[in-house]
Amino acid sequence: MESSKLKIIKKRDVLKFLDSIKKEYDIFVPMEKNSGIRFSRFNLEKDIPWNYRNAKISPKEIFFPKTETLFSFEAGTSIISDGGKTFTSVNEPKDSFPETKDYLIFGIRPCDAQAYSLLDKLFGGDDFQDPYYLEKRKKTTIISLACNKPQSTCFCTSLKGRPDNEEGADIILFDLDEDILAKPITKKGEKFIENLNSWFKEAKEADIEKKNKLMDLSLKKIRSGVDLQHIKEKLDKTFDISLWNEIHQKCLGCGICTYLCPTCYCFNITDEMDHEAGVLATSRGKRIRCWDSCMFPLFTLHASGHNPRPTYKERMRQRIMHKFNYCPENFEEIFCIGCGRCIRNCPVNIDLRETLVLLMSFQSLGKNKKN
Amino acid sequence: MIEKIKEIVKKLFKENKIDIFIGYGEGTLPLRATPCFITGQDDIKKLVWNSYCLNNLAVYLSGFFLPQLKKKDVKLPRIGILAKGCDGRSIVGLIKEHQIPRENLYIIGINCEGMIDIEKTQNAVCKMQEIEIVSAEEKSGKVLLEDEDNKKTELKKEELLADVCKDCQYTAPLIYDVLIGEEKRKTKEKERAAFIKEFEKKPLEERWKYFQEQVSKCIRCYACRQACPNCYCKECFADQTKPKWIGATDDISDIMFFQIGRILHQAGRCVDCGACVRACPMGIDLRIFTYKLIEDVKEFFGYEVGISLEETPPLATFKQDDKQEFITEP
Repeated sequence: MESSKLKIIKKRDVLKFLDSIKKEYDIFVPMEKNSGIRFSRFNLEKDIPWNYRNAKISPKEIFFPKTETLFSFEAGTSIISDGGKTFTSVNEPKDSFPETKDYLIFGIRPCDAQAYSLLDKLFGGDDFQDPYYLEKRKKTTIISLACNKPQSTCFCTSLKGRPDNEEGADIILFDLDEDILAKPITKKGEKFIENLNSWFKEAKEADIEKKNKLMDLSLKKIRSGVDLQHIKEKLDKTFDISLWNEIHQKCLGCGICTYLCPTCYCFNITDEMDHEAGVLATSRGKRIRCWDSCMFPLFTLHASGHNPRPTYKERMRQRIMHKFNYCPENFEEIFCIGCGRCIRNCPVNIDLRETLVLLMSFQSLGKNKKN
Repeated sequence: MIEKIKEIVKKLFKENKIDIFIGYGEGTLPLRATPCFITGQDDIKKLVWNSYCLNNLAVYLSGFFLPQLKKKDVKLPRIGILAKGCDGRSIVGLIKEHQIPRENLYIIGINCEGMIDIEKTQNAVCKMQEIEIVSAEEKSGKVLLEDEDNKKTELKKEELLADVCKDCQYTAPLIYDVLIGEEKRKTKEKERAAFIKEFEKKPLEERWKYFQEQVSKCIRCYACRQACPNCYCKECFADQTKPKWIGATDDISDIMFFQIGRILHQAGRCVDCGACVRACPMGIDLRIFTYKLIEDVKEFFGYEVGISLEETPPLATFKQDDKQEFITEP
């Protein structure tokens, strides 16, 4: 990247800048909520929490909301399809995404941007094209914000990440205190800045130096890590080792790790009848999809009553194997970006890093140890 | 205290009195301990006891004694468990509800001096966004915290206690096989009780609004349910599909149905251990509702959970003069 493409915008101008493009874009920014930071629609009254560590719930919910209407139906008529074009957002079901506007996701952390590129492989892969995800995804410009202060639970460098990782984003921003340095990554990002050129000025050599120093410091702050070399091959041989009996033991079986995870994508599809003034309608309803979790017993319960993953052991194994073995097999990618959400929020302190170290070191010792 | 615990556990294994011991081990994060399962003498060294042993360990017990296991004539394990006051009261509740056999338990009661609230501690130093606490060391009633910039802060443990611990009335269990430390019953005015009294004075609309605000944060991860020792149902009403009681969406009516249902099922059973509140990733104030139930059950039926093995739980009995107003005048 030639340095001439690096731009500077004053931090104090950013809100005005976003406000000036809100006619063209539906803008999502990190926002302080009563449950922590969450991505929400831009509001001029609310400043960007520039030093936020990361959002409580990953911004996967913008493309893949917790509940999403696939289509609605009415009894006695043929199915009314919205052609995959009407979307209902997580928090504001009334406020459907306007179809004319493009999306702008502003200020997501590089790991979460990388997670989008992983989800793209699933929802936009060769085998299946998910219109609900792709419709939103393809009209979105992603502006990420490099991490000046990673958390103690961050281990992105053990995967493919870095505090200034560019994958998945169109533009990456660097917080230089009073100034914001913007670096376009994709053609889309370049065009975005070009079109709004009046807000930016050329970055100086000193700005770039400052940015480099910040990133060096930031990288040093990521102290935890796991050597994941050949993890797929190693896990190929661990399906029935006795270690799983121990790993799951303290698991409570809640859905925190999967629901907060930026790469967990499992969902359930059900039909829900509409409510009319608090009363369940008998003739109108919606087919919805909502997040589901491999940690729940219902996830694999067969209609016969049989459950192939009857205990926490099988469910925990599924979660780890899916991310670190099946996804590498199917997509040639580990579906973990090292954001540490599952570690930080687990009620019983199950630490994914610890689990991975155990699994990686078990190989050589435990070949014959079967349960 | 930890040496005493280890000594007892060692003896239990040596004399072949237990198959598994459930205690706490070192956590991987500052201010955290983690539930720890010990199956032999070699692992006893993993045990720790400090002010971070927040989890209610009773939650693990019913899984060892599922009805299908009893039916199969499987030899049920003998379990040793470290129990703080709250864990101990949960265990009593589970015994009375016939979920766990008393004879298969060896309860090491411990007088708990209260556990430290992680978020409170972080915020006492600085907001997480600014500076993160990366290590903590406990020394005689004080906690020495170190942040990511290597700055050290010393705080009094007492100021950092979890809300449930500040209000705790039974610091040690009342039913145990051996007790470590002295049993102390606190009698001081409960902060939460005062808060509830204030809250109750508010008009219905305001209280309803608060409830809605709180539960609207819910993402239905069911961590509150899973962390609760009382939520041992083979199949939760929220998971049932035939009939299906609750929609799967995050519509407020679906969320409320789950929360109200779960909370009401705690009447006369909740010991106010705070496991649900701590487990909730979204910071829902669940305790204001469960605590109200505790107060009501005490007021209407004079019953406190987990105090004795003999007294019949209020929901398992009926008396002619039972109070009815709570049904007719909410």
